[in-house]
Amino acid sequence: MSVPLARRQLLFRKGRALAGIAGIAAALLLVLALNAIFAGINDRLTAYIDRSGADVIVAQQGVDTMHMTQSALAEQTATAVAVIPGVAQARPILYVPAMIERGEKRGIVYLIGDDSGGAPLPIAAGRRPGLGEIMLERTLAERLAAPIGSRVRAFGQSFRVSGEVEGLASILNSVAFVRRQELERVLGSAGVVSYVLVRAQPTIHSPDLAARIEASVPGVTASTREVFARSERRVVGDMTTDIVRAMILVGFVIGVAVAGLVAYSATLSQLRDYAVLRALGLRARRALTLAVAQIGATVAAGFVLALVLVWTLAALLPRLSPTLVLAIRAGDVATALIVAGAVTLVAAALPVLRVARVDPASVFRR
Amino acid sequence: MTARRRVPIARRQLAAEPAKLVVTLVAVAAAVALVLLLSGLRRGMGEQVTLYLDHQSPVLVGQEGARNFLSQTSVLPEALADEIERVPGVAEATPIGQQYAMLRLHRRPVLALLIGYDPGKPGGPWRLASGRAPTGRGELVLDRVLASEHGLEVGSTLEYRGAQLRIVGLSRGTSGFMTPLAFAPRTTVNDLSRQPGTANFFLVRPEPGIGAETLAARIDRTLPGVTALTRDELAANDRRQFIDPFSAPLFAMVAIAFAVAILVIGLAVYSSTAERSREYATLKALGLRRIALFQLVGVQAAALALGGTAVGIVLAAAAARGVSSLAPKYLIAISVGSVVAIATSALAMALVASFVPARLLARLDPASAFRR
Repeated sequence: MSVPLARRQLLFRKGRALAGIAGIAAALLLVLALNAIFAGINDRLTAYIDRSGADVIVAQQGVDTMHMTQSALAEQTATAVAVIPGVAQARPILYVPAMIERGEKRGIVYLIGDDSGGAPLPIAAGRRPGLGEIMLERTLAERLAAPIGSRVRAFGQSFRVSGEVEGLASILNSVAFVRRQELERVLGSAGVVSYVLVRAQPTIHSPDLAARIEASVPGVTASTREVFARSERRVVGDMTTDIVRAMILVGFVIGVAVAGLVAYSATLSQLRDYAVLRALGLRARRALTLAVAQIGATVAAGFVLALVLVWTLAALLPRLSPTLVLAIRAGDVATALIVAGAVTLVAAALPVLRVARVDPASVFRR
Repeated sequence: MTARRRVPIARRQLAAEPAKLVVTLVAVAAAVALVLLLSGLRRGMGEQVTLYLDHQSPVLVGQEGARNFLSQTSVLPEALADEIERVPGVAEATPIGQQYAMLRLHRRPVLALLIGYDPGKPGGPWRLASGRAPTGRGELVLDRVLASEHGLEVGSTLEYRGAQLRIVGLSRGTSGFMTPLAFAPRTTVNDLSRQPGTANFFLVRPEPGIGAETLAARIDRTLPGVTALTRDELAANDRRQFIDPFSAPLFAMVAIAFAVAILVIGLAVYSSTAERSREYATLKALGLRRIALFQLVGVQAAALALGGTAVGIVLAAAAARGVSSLAPKYLIAISVGSVVAIATSALAMALVASFVPARLLARLDPASAFRR
């Protein structure tokens, strides 16, 4: 009958084993949580465009993003696009960052001037905005304490809140809708639109339609919704890549230190056990496997705990702060797994050296 | 004299296993450095977002309702400059254009803050590293760091919103993590936005002896349809706008890092205490009082916490310096306040971390020293 030595050694001091697992979980949680926060921002970044019903987005030449972006097209562009074969609908929108105020409370939004009042986005409450009205994202409405029927201010004008939409806000920004002509008036930008949202006829592929629009209308860039959304995600992705990498590195260092500490102190306290086992005939390689197995099991348990914690955070945080959305992606979990594997390998080095050098005769000395 | 004073047990126990001591210090230092770097990055972002404003006139005028310089639209007729200059106390009002520019460099979107200004007037680059200030349509001054990151130099051409912009100069001290600066004549910026004859803001220079707040209030009262704010007020609003969203995730990261540091210290002290329980039992049997044993654990935990924190502060300072030379677009501004806060917190870490080993010692039976 084989004796589960690694498990018994690991569980001999439960407190230490648990502390080690918690430490490694915390280090991996740093990696996972940060990735999930940025992924959540990215998802919300494209929420409007994903749900706008547009197959192709037409912008000023060279423009294929909305976030922190300026695009100005002549209003006639929408008319020119609408007559291109394959276009079912061409809807011009104005798109500007704006401050929405209610009393002393304020919030920055992307204000979208749309004749359809944000259709086909589903309305969470109320109705689409008419003239003199505004439709707010629900989290902003709650933050401003601006229920339907109340009034808010933007560009020095007063708007009545007509309705609410959901799921478009991130920790960076929110979205609100007004009639395009209303926004055109306050901005003094008659005859200018920001983007044209194009719905394709069912028979045509979006990439073909985008190419056809670019060939027919000068001075525009036409992108399919997927290409546009990918480009949007790159904006935040590129800005945060270095920070995420740095965080992964720190998570790795902390993970190695914690795992190394657990493994080292555990091995030291068990050095006499190893000597006994070696005196009983346990081969050096088997002793090393024992040491590595303990570290591997600690890191694996830490990894599982980190996953559980990040999933718990992803479930709890949006309830506490609706714009803080954590998106856990398979790729990010894989990164954490690679970090965990690397932690195991590096952390195992010290105790493995001690175990390899242990003298079986030492058990008989006292 | 007590045994504690004669024999430096705490120090000897820590030094008995140098590898473990180093690993513990590294772990605490990494956690501390992480906290300092994250809070420094957040502070640096705040400083960087107001980079342009910090170099401008003390009063700015925007469209009614304007509260921020960045992330908010403000459009006014450029002819308003004359009306502003007629307000008593105004020495000069200069229109500027301002917009985020999502440049496409190396096929990737790269964000910059594009300033449109009237050549020869305030609002342009304050320091040139090379080349000259833009004078004609389609000319551009780009931040030196942004240019070097993308292999651009004076004479390079850059396509933005369908227009060809020629780089005629590179500016220094205009780099920012999210918003490096670019400068072009206002006419060029207006053309790109199809908004001729407009300005986004007016930079207002007060006459000598006129306070910024007084002048802003006077402009607000005198001119309809505008909001006048002091530069400091706008800068504070921008900082809040950019930094506040990061507060919740940052707090979560800092909390995790603290938990890690406490765990590591606790783990190190607990394991050495547990391993030496026989020695402690002997000391107890020899008459060492319980309080002295607690002190022993406390001193070890405090030494690890303070030592790790000191190493962490040095690491963070070195990392901040390394980042500023290797990746100047990031500004990590580590404040004295955050260093003091983390050093104080280190003692709290030590206190929490020594709780479990102290309990172990309290329950230790002195008679166990004689058993085998």
